[in-house]
Amino acid sequence: MTNRAIEEILRDWLPRQRWFAGKDSGAESVRIVSRRVLVDGDPSLIHLLVEVGQPAPAPTLHSPADSNAVLYQVPISIRSELSPNLDHALIGNVDGVGLVYDAAHDQEAMHAVLGWVATEADREGIAFRREPGAHIDPDAPSLVMGGEQSNTSIIFGEQTVMKLFRIVVPGLNPDLEITKALTEAENKHVAAVQGWLETEVEGVPSTLALLQDFLRTGSDGWALALTSVRDLFAEGDLHAEEVGGDFAAESERLGMATADVHEIMARTLPTGNLDADAIGDLADSMRGRLEAAVAAVPDLDVHASAIGEAFDEVRRIREPIAVQRVHGDYHLGQVMRTDSGWVLLDFEGEPGAPIAIRAALSSPLRDIAGMLRSFDYASRYLLADHASFPQLEYRAVEWADRNRDAFCVGYAKTTGRDPREDNVLLRAFELDKAVYEVVYESRNRPDWVHIPLHSIERLVAA
Amino acid sequence: MTLENSSAEPPYPADPSWYKRAVFYEVLVRGFHDSNGDGTGDLKGLTSKLDYLQWLGVDCLWLLPIYASPLRDGGYDIADYFTILPEFGDLGDFVELVDEAHKRGMRVVADLVMNHTSDQHPWFQASREDPTGPYGDYYVWADDDSGYRDARIIFVDTEKSNWSFDPVRGQYYWHRFFAHQPDLNFENPAVQEAMLSVLRFWLDLGIDGFRLDAVPYLFEEEGTSGENLPKTHEYLKRIRKEVDDLYPDRVLLAEANQWPADVVQYFGDGDECHMAFHFPLMPRIFMSVRREQRYPISEILAQTPPIPENCQWGIFLRNHDELTLEMVSDEDRDYMWSEYAQDPRMKANIGIRRRLAPLLDNSRDQMELFTALLLSLPGSPVLYYGDEIGMGDNIWLGDRDGVRTPMQWTPDRNAGFSTCDPGRLYLPVIMDPLYGYQALNVEAQMRTSTSLLHWTRRMIETRKRHPTFGLGAYTELGASNPSVLAFVREFGDDRVLCVNNLSRFPQPVELDLRRFQGVEPVEMLGGVHFPAIGELPYLLTLPGHGFYWFTLPRQAPLPGKAAT
Repeated sequence: MTNRAIEEILRDWLPRQRWFAGKDSGAESVRIVSRRVLVDGDPSLIHLLVEVGQPAPAPTLHSPADSNAVLYQVPISIRSELSPNLDHALIGNVDGVGLVYDAAHDQEAMHAVLGWVATEADREGIAFRREPGAHIDPDAPSLVMGGEQSNTSIIFGEQTVMKLFRIVVPGLNPDLEITKALTEAENKHVAAVQGWLETEVEGVPSTLALLQDFLRTGSDGWALALTSVRDLFAEGDLHAEEVGGDFAAESERLGMATADVHEIMARTLPTGNLDADAIGDLADSMRGRLEAAVAAVPDLDVHASAIGEAFDEVRRIREPIAVQRVHGDYHLGQVMRTDSGWVLLDFEGEPGAPIAIRAALSSPLRDIAGMLRSFDYASRYLLADHASFPQLEYRAVEWADRNRDAFCVGYAKTTGRDPREDNVLLRAFELDKAVYEVVYESRNRPDWVHIPLHSIERLVAA
Repeated sequence: MTLENSSAEPPYPADPSWYKRAVFYEVLVRGFHDSNGDGTGDLKGLTSKLDYLQWLGVDCLWLLPIYASPLRDGGYDIADYFTILPEFGDLGDFVELVDEAHKRGMRVVADLVMNHTSDQHPWFQASREDPTGPYGDYYVWADDDSGYRDARIIFVDTEKSNWSFDPVRGQYYWHRFFAHQPDLNFENPAVQEAMLSVLRFWLDLGIDGFRLDAVPYLFEEEGTSGENLPKTHEYLKRIRKEVDDLYPDRVLLAEANQWPADVVQYFGDGDECHMAFHFPLMPRIFMSVRREQRYPISEILAQTPPIPENCQWGIFLRNHDELTLEMVSDEDRDYMWSEYAQDPRMKANIGIRRRLAPLLDNSRDQMELFTALLLSLPGSPVLYYGDEIGMGDNIWLGDRDGVRTPMQWTPDRNAGFSTCDPGRLYLPVIMDPLYGYQALNVEAQMRTSTSLLHWTRRMIETRKRHPTFGLGAYTELGASNPSVLAFVREFGDDRVLCVNNLSRFPQPVELDLRRFQGVEPVEMLGGVHFPAIGELPYLLTLPGHGFYWFTLPRQAPLPGKAAT
């Protein structure tokens, strides 16, 4: 079989996948950089690393737009006969080769992978590893989970979920690194690591997949928060604290869980301090992003000087700022409510960004700011369906304030320090995030740009 | 009818796990039906309504106390264990009730208080007057009030101490509840024997079991809380052995208002009580629907330990006590833990005294959802009289009387409950425009096939066709939508999938049903076949407060299912 034929069908198929970054621009070129036959049979299982060339992507929050080749991981299975259950996973039919399927959806292929993890196999340069003490049932049937944005998650039975990192970056994925540290600290706010897959990329051992406890009864914090907001909006004139769907107790527990996880990350992973110079650099980088954003979104201009002042206040922080490993992309969609409490997920950082950037130390206030922004978003998400209705606006603000407060109170219960005591830095992180959101929304969802703009108005007025 | 011709043996075959599948019905004798026109319901009145209860599908009646009593604590202050409260009738009436129930395939259990008696009980009178006589040591007497300091006072608002001075005997006596309810001294072997005689007396009359009130407090011990002591469990095990040996098929239901993890000790190793109430589940159901999310329910069921195979939880939505609703509305639900610990009999005045219908603003959708949950969550459901027709309450009546008004049978005088002068009724019937008996009564609902009564009956009937509801394992399913509680009950080939929308809004849900791939779910109320379960998550949409019950019949897997 030739790589060319496979590359050809992938070129058509890849841009249609949810996890494919830069869907608008498509795949200019597709090149198979490694091909490992893991099972030679019918079906066969072949692991591909594919380099996809794209037009230069838009700059993201933390990664400069200096690279336009992205390495994707695409396991495929090849069958000689159509498998009706796999229709949705068919990549294409290659003459003389067979029917090519996305192996993530192929129960037989995934069964083999799980077995190799259970037995800690090494195959064709891929190491399948099991976390000591993890119990894996190699016969558990697999299912691809819906709704994933940047990766593919496969559930095995009711105990295990495997996240296949679609974009492969050289090095240890922070998701594995941090989840493993939290697992070993026996933290209850993490889905424990069960195993992982790794291989060498550019000479460095690099993470291909992470297996962890599947949170069978969990639902994500975003969906749960919206349930509360929906309930609030449906109640005539009740205040946020009066309605049955009040979310504050959940927010407070989420604050406690977040603080707990931050404390363990500080204890088990590298930490440091930002001196005056580094603090200046932090403020500079915020200002830099602000300038770029103002250039891109003129609506931001009226707030630019106030935001800039808020960033400059950071320079005046006299004590060194404690930094540590953080979540990096923290919001309500990254946490799950289970029947035993909150669990934090996806310590991956920004997919596709170099590991060094994702593993950079930061103040935990950055995560807190991310979650506070998320409460704002949750409170206003449903307003999109209610055309300008001042009373609902007012109540959305009330909901956000109540839950932001509760989150901070919960955080303080664990750490002894309310994040709002470090208001200068917290506000700067929030504004930095909101500025990024303004750019993102104006490009992708112009109807939504009012959400971060509204938040900016409130933040600079505070 | 005389005692001699009473039959202790029900006319149906022995069935040692009947209580695990049974639908219980809590009935207030005083409030159900008055046979003699004195304004108070009685045993004969209840007997005359057994056909109705059989029609509804009730398997077992639970009677609140029926014994002679000064009624200073709703009959939980028993003045004579061997006599029926005269207003209710006599022992002959009781035997007739049991026999007639048995003829209809129904059983009867009754409340029994072992921990204490009324101070009017002849045992107490003898004990206070003759300290050296045969009853001198029947109660817990002491020269001072310094003992058992670590036992908390349960009715803090009325009692200052667990000891009270008796001027007749010149000593203090021990009481965990009201001062007029002296605790029996279970250290005394004669008391242990006497209580076994009480049980035997009623079992010989044909009763099918007891709800044992206030069981955690039977024994006292210095330096302990005086609750759940090993000696108490030993004695309960002794009772169980006696019941198993001589009275098979009878049931002991413990009232221990504590957290499930603590209540399970009353099951022993399957050699203590057959059943115990699951108290925290009820407020959690209300909380889940108010919060429009499943976690209050999921959490409490996840924290409920497994119980021995021959044991069963009793679950309920409402009963004669009040709903501690502030646990539901309080912003910090963990508060419930401490709240329960402070309130073992759930009698403290911190709740809302409402019936199910007014609690749910008379929403038919919600009443149906709640009843569907009651009939499908793990445990034996206990219905409260009147809730099957959506009866209202009267919050202007004192204490908990608001939920104990006469059953509404017809639109006639006194709701068909009694022929007495309306002023003579033990409590007025409900007369408000929404829940008043003129509109809301059994007769009217019997005539309307879409009524709540007919709906409830159909649901009970559906439940009873599927033993898995009583006997099956409970597994919560991961559901993509937090407003949806979905679970599977499995008992061999009897597999049922229940999907409940806790939100007032329509909701979609994707269920992970891989385990049942190839199965065609059949909706149980209408028999409609739903699309077969495939490899992908199963999509359902539910109307606001809607629910589905499906059977998952076993069938050959579809060809092409991947080998795993």
